Amino acid sequence: MPNGTHTVELQVPIENIWNFVSDMNNWAPLVPGYIEHEILSEKQSTWKFKGDLGFMKKTVKLQIDILEWIEPSKVTFDLKGLSDNFTGGGYFEAEKITDAATRMTGHLDITAGGMMGAMINTILKNFVPETAQQLTEAIAGKINEIEGVTV
Amino acid sequence: MPANRPATWDHEVDVVVLGTGGAAFVSAVLAADQGAEVLMLEKTHQVGGTTAFSGGVPWIPMNRYMKEAGIEDDRESAITFIKRLTQGKEPDPKFIDLFVDNGHVMIDYLHENTPVRFATPKGYSEYYGHLPEALKNGTRSLDPEPFDLNQVGEWGPLVRQNPVFPPLTLAEGGAVGGIDFMKIAERMENNIVTMGRSLIGALLKGALERGIDIQLNTPGKELVLDDEGKVIGVVAEKDGEKIFIGARKGVVLASGGFEWNQELIKTFLKGHVTHPMSPPGNEGDGLIMAMEAGAALGNMTEAWYYPTMQDPTFEYEDHVMNQTGGGRFGPNSIIVNKHGKRFAHEGTTYNDLPRSFFEYDPVALEYPNEAPNWMIFDQQLKDSQMIITMMPGEEAPEWVDRADSLRELAEKIGVNPDGLEASVARWNEHVENGVDPDFHRGTTHFENILGGGGNAEANLGKIEKGPFYAIPVHLGALGTNGGPRINEKGEVISLRGNVIDGLYAAGNAAMGILGPVYTSAGGTIGPAMTMGYIVGKEVGAKEAREIKEAEALAL
Repeated sequence: MPNGTHTVELQVPIENIWNFVSDMNNWAPLVPGYIEHEILSEKQSTWKFKGDLGFMKKTVKLQIDILEWIEPSKVTFDLKGLSDNFTGGGYFEAEKITDAATRMTGHLDITAGGMMGAMINTILKNFVPETAQQLTEAIAGKINEIEGVTV
Repeated sequence: MPANRPATWDHEVDVVVLGTGGAAFVSAVLAADQGAEVLMLEKTHQVGGTTAFSGGVPWIPMNRYMKEAGIEDDRESAITFIKRLTQGKEPDPKFIDLFVDNGHVMIDYLHENTPVRFATPKGYSEYYGHLPEALKNGTRSLDPEPFDLNQVGEWGPLVRQNPVFPPLTLAEGGAVGGIDFMKIAERMENNIVTMGRSLIGALLKGALERGIDIQLNTPGKELVLDDEGKVIGVVAEKDGEKIFIGARKGVVLASGGFEWNQELIKTFLKGHVTHPMSPPGNEGDGLIMAMEAGAALGNMTEAWYYPTMQDPTFEYEDHVMNQTGGGRFGPNSIIVNKHGKRFAHEGTTYNDLPRSFFEYDPVALEYPNEAPNWMIFDQQLKDSQMIITMMPGEEAPEWVDRADSLRELAEKIGVNPDGLEASVARWNEHVENGVDPDFHRGTTHFENILGGGGNAEANLGKIEKGPFYAIPVHLGALGTNGGPRINEKGEVISLRGNVIDGLYAAGNAAMGILGPVYTSAGGTIGPAMTMGYIVGKEVGAKEAREIKEAEALAL
């Protein structure tokens, strides 16, 4: 199963991180290849983005279902392809280090199904961890910018 | 105009080859083997050009791999077959002999002197297998053997990749059905490549072993001529700076066709190719340089046509990728024009079908079949075949037009509804009778090449089970097939019929030596590599011009 986990440490209180991460609209444009998203309900949204696989780009549409909000430390979600045959999930986790510092982890797993699944999963093996890393770092960068933290 | 001579050359070599496709690499390797110092200039960020993007299959009569497989072939049969197809429209018949006599020698040479290896694809046959003149017991097409791209080290990721070709050989079904996705995954894990990447990978290894210098992101821009009109060098561009490269023996134009240059397309081709299928760097650079040097041109109205389709969610180098599509041979599909009418046998070869797009109606004063035309099919075909990127059994993506009735579908796509309904009714009648008197579906070999040739059972089926689907069919090209006129040594000929000393051309950058003909799988690469072989031997063995300091400073 192609997956990736990436952790960063921020000199920002956990509550501030939660305030940012808990509103999808804040970080949606930071998803690599983001095109658009639509929030259907508190727990459900659809997303469209263009994945850059290096040798080609593929536009995909997917649905995200929030499974759990544990304020202020974790949000977990499931995802499924609306345009293509894949499923997966992920989470954002925030862990308090001190009152002013937080460890933030992003995790993503995506598995392609169908006849071409084995082939596509080989391609996703690099793509998914890279995306998890890019997204986590982009969110960290944005939070630092908002909080006026210089790295 | 060609560049003035530079005050000094930035580099001096014996031979400069523009391009890194099949013709380019073969000419570079052969030139190096004659003792020449060779420099290859590649416009893009990757090696391999159109060849790497292709099946990598050369079509070569009397080749060694056929002999090993027990397939009989002879010179006269090959020439007769090619002439049956060219119908006298080749630029010069002596090139047919030249190709037949040298193609298998080129294959022998590569086998004996480079890592290039082929196999005769089992179960494969000739596109025109239904013709009496065609080879009946196998194929002249050669299938590159899988190649371990790790062998070229850091160059591996720089070998161009066609994203829709999985790493399977032709025999394994890499291009036509029968796909083993587990094998694909295993090869991807291990960096084992096939088809065009395999051929280019092996040629690249051969070139690197010979110390051939390959410069990426370095397009050749202008030829440098002396006062007698002899080509003595090239002006290239690197990082925005001009670099002057002196050539002691010659310059080889092997930089691909002009299918990505709309101005040249409109100027020369009968049909307006809007959807090229090659890498976007093919903009006619070699052709323009040759014209500037006063070259005569040949076969300029021809291209390697393809009826292309698109999955708009799939992009290659910032363009929606033009793909081979599929489905048009299938029993439950037809292709119609904007009037809703069929106009050709839908399952003929990809180089033949698009020629029906150019028809002109002198009464209606229009081109009724001008692309996009539409492939119309029903749920039965959708359930049984892979079409573009749609797999059987999976729901059709939102970009595919569909409707519960043919009339509704026609209205949705802007096709005459009465015409479409009538065409489908007539097609279904033909299917009922087991024969297509209008366009003879089910009678050509190509439309069921893996099943022994076209027949009513395989290629005729009613369009009757909704929902009904429509996909636009565009006029595409694998490449263009015209360029500077060459002689039997691959030297470029001037408008006045003289040799332009020091200038050579091969592959899609040159005049297509077999004219409009695409003999079978590899009908492009076979002649291209053969001319690359001839050019490389000629230019490599040429006496080196002495570049004197005074000459180089003679502005």
